[in-house]
Amino acid sequence: MTDASSDAKTLRWLDLAAAGALLVALGFALFSPPDVIQGDLTRMMYIHVPTILVAYGAFAVTTVATIGYLITKSLKWDTIAASSAEVGVVFLGLAIATGMIWGKPVWGVWWTWDARLTTTAIMFFIYLGYLGLRRSIPDPVARAQRSAILGIVAVVQIPIVHFSVQWWNALHQAPTILRPGDPQIDSPLLGALLVGLFAFAIVYVWLLVRRVQLANLDAELEARDAAPDVPMAGEAVSAPDLSDGGAVS
Amino acid sequence: MSSLSTQMAAVTRRDLERERRTGEVLWITIPFGAIALILVPMAVGADVPLLRQIGPGLYWVVVMLFGVLIAVRRTSMETPAQRDLLALLGIDPAAVFGGRAMASGLMLLVFELIVGAVAVLFYDIDLSGWPWLLLVLPLAAAGLAALGTIAGSIATNATVGPALIPLIVAPLAVPLLLAASEIVEGLRTDTGILRWLLLMVIVDLVLCIAGVVTARPLQETQ
Amino acid sequence: MSDWGWVTFGYVVVYGGVVAYGASLLWRTKVARRKLKARG
Repeated sequence: MTDASSDAKTLRWLDLAAAGALLVALGFALFSPPDVIQGDLTRMMYIHVPTILVAYGAFAVTTVATIGYLITKSLKWDTIAASSAEVGVVFLGLAIATGMIWGKPVWGVWWTWDARLTTTAIMFFIYLGYLGLRRSIPDPVARAQRSAILGIVAVVQIPIVHFSVQWWNALHQAPTILRPGDPQIDSPLLGALLVGLFAFAIVYVWLLVRRVQLANLDAELEARDAAPDVPMAGEAVSAPDLSDGGAVS
Repeated sequence: MSSLSTQMAAVTRRDLERERRTGEVLWITIPFGAIALILVPMAVGADVPLLRQIGPGLYWVVVMLFGVLIAVRRTSMETPAQRDLLALLGIDPAAVFGGRAMASGLMLLVFELIVGAVAVLFYDIDLSGWPWLLLVLPLAAAGLAALGTIAGSIATNATVGPALIPLIVAPLAVPLLLAASEIVEGLRTDTGILRWLLLMVIVDLVLCIAGVVTARPLQETQ
Repeated sequence: MSDWGWVTFGYVVVYGGVVAYGASLLWRTKVARRKLKARG
């Protein structure tokens, strides 16, 4: 194993970096000027947009890692895919929640069935199913193989879902709403948004690294549980003990 | 070594034989779908214009959610020993997938027809343009069957599987749901349905290809 | 609810959620390490 203490130190730095990034982003978000149209509600943008972009990014990483697993068959890739999916689901949930919290005061409703929101909600359930599938398979190799299959099927199907929802949406004309996040953003607001994006990207990396670390520890625990101190079959056959304690042969 | 289609036909026949013996789809799953349709007016109110409006969409939701149980039952009935037997007999895993999907698809078609009749009767659904439905029903059944069979092959945990598989299938089946509903609506209002038909064909193709391609790797993990 | 009320609500959810998830990961890691050490 690599030097544990230097690993721990790097991780400490990552913890601190993430905490620092969050605080900086918070500062920018709270002290940036309010928007002309939406007033202080614009500040929701500084958490909604980063969380949704991080979620999409996380699922992109899952897809790449899944392909990596299918090519190399190394479980390391599977661990990354699964960890990124879990972090992605968390961020997607937060993105949907912030979308609702932003939408209620702006539009008057918690939810609208516009194409992007609807596809996002569907993606949430797809990856929830992915995580649920993984929990149902104890064997690491079978788990990796089967989640890879689901991962690929999902990735192929998601664009189809997106287009079908878009067509559906266009037919049943959803009211043209002022879409939060579709603005001509002034520079101070854009600054806060970019800081937020950067900060949440760091947070994503932190969470991913920590999640992968946890997964590796759990895997090691499982491996040790699966191979307790059971005498190996070969032990039944051993070389005869020829020393007879000095007795005369 | 028999051809792929012969093997597939054999697997389909075996699955259908099982259904003939247990009658699970005919006597349990289909009535379940029917009663779901009957429960809704009790909940939303028996207002005929409202029911006529929501009927087609509700029918397709029932097909998607309850019909998937058909594909689930099929695969959860296959024990590891039976899977091994199929492998030992040298049956191509792609043929196993195709056969199982075909059997599920056929049973889904029966489900669609019977539950569809219930929907038309209880919701007073307008059936204009019905000949097109002869195309839509099999397309929906095929896609859902393929999806359900794939899901059934990866989620084989006997305890959680029956609950997990509908969760996996439902969001992925959305394009089929949208297309089928929009086609029925389009037939009623006489608007274009071709793009939705095309979508269903594409989805079915994608799913069938996925099922065939993943069949052999899956068999190796079992 | 005022605008700032909504914003506060949203920020508590997001920042709280991130911190809670991160903290749970750190804690579970600690527990796993302890178990591993116990097993030797």
